[in-house]
Amino acid sequence: MKIVRKVKVKNSLGLHTRPAASIVKLLQPRKSAVQFTHKHETINARSIMSILMLAARKNTVIEISVEGDDAELTMQHLVDAFESEFGEK
Amino acid sequence: MYLVKHFYEQHSKYLGLVLLAGSAGLSRKINKAEVHRPGLSLTGYLKGFVPARILIFGKQEIEFLRELEPEVRMERLSSILTPSTPAVIVARGFPPPKELISACDKANVPLFRATSTATNLLSRITFLLLEEFCPSVTLHGTLVEVFGVGVLIQGESSVGKSEAALGLIERGHRLISDDVVRVKRKEGPYLVGSGPELTRHLMEIRGIGIINVAHLYGAVCVRPDKGIDIVVKLEEWDDQHFYDRVGLDDKFIDILGVSVPFHLLPVKPGRDVVLLLETIGLNHRLKDMGYNSAKEFNTKLLETIAKRQKKRVGIENRA
Repeated sequence: MKIVRKVKVKNSLGLHTRPAASIVKLLQPRKSAVQFTHKHETINARSIMSILMLAARKNTVIEISVEGDDAELTMQHLVDAFESEFGEK
Repeated sequence: MYLVKHFYEQHSKYLGLVLLAGSAGLSRKINKAEVHRPGLSLTGYLKGFVPARILIFGKQEIEFLRELEPEVRMERLSSILTPSTPAVIVARGFPPPKELISACDKANVPLFRATSTATNLLSRITFLLLEEFCPSVTLHGTLVEVFGVGVLIQGESSVGKSEAALGLIERGHRLISDDVVRVKRKEGPYLVGSGPELTRHLMEIRGIGIINVAHLYGAVCVRPDKGIDIVVKLEEWDDQHFYDRVGLDDKFIDILGVSVPFHLLPVKPGRDVVLLLETIGLNHRLKDMGYNSAKEFNTKLLETIAKRQKKRVGIENRA
């Protein structure tokens, strides 16, 4: 199953090292393939360096694409993390 | 989308560009990697004229315009300054005729002056635009240079790509980019990979974190870009899979329409991945020099068998 959703970066510092690490951490137990698309750049969300390369600032939109058996759950976890501003609120 | 303003920002110093008129058109799009000297078009012959090209005025164009009546001059210029013309560049620092300035201002086409000759501009700008428009893709993998051979290491997350690269760096090979590789297809065609500016020469090693290889091992261990000669995919050893045992058949993988030699390298404890990658690199160099170990051995083997066959037939005939 493949799900695609757009989310907004809400935390004030943007996608810096700590949020990137928390994304990679929450994806570790998940099976699905996860990709982020930002400004025509599509990257593997399991790679910290790739997420950092995007240098996404606050209020930018990231398209998340999840494909696999646990796609729904993975997407929910990711959206929750973005919504909660990676615990920086 | 590539705009005239991007081109101006990036290359104004290199080409010696000075904006003279038509600044309102700086956000015009450049869609074609082509430049054109409008010589014939200025005589009024417009059949086959491609409007979306950057126009370069050299000495001949300027002289020709000077000989025309002012009204004709204006009319001819207006006919070649179409809505899709990205920009006009006057070569060798010639002062452009008044009509060219006013026509550019009217049509909102940026008009530049450049220092070099028209021929020089033609080749330099074509090269710059081809570079800008070449097909590219961002791949997940690590690009290293092993004995001068560009090796793109791919594989699932946590299979050990970064660790292998670190081992190679320690042995004196070079890192181009870890985890994210931007690949461009150049004319030829061949592929060139580089790392994104922001994370260049940084690596993430599980258990250590982010390290800067250029700082740790010095400038000799990194380079900004490198042609991709081989792709090696690391994967966990699968007992069900039959891995290549002889190397007689070359395998290839397609990246942006270019086929690149491909190796599938299984990883398991006890297999020194760094040493294996070095061997793949060296073997590639040897093949490039025209020597294929597997094929060479096979030829020798076939000859030996044929010789034995002959001997056997000889013995049988005598008997």
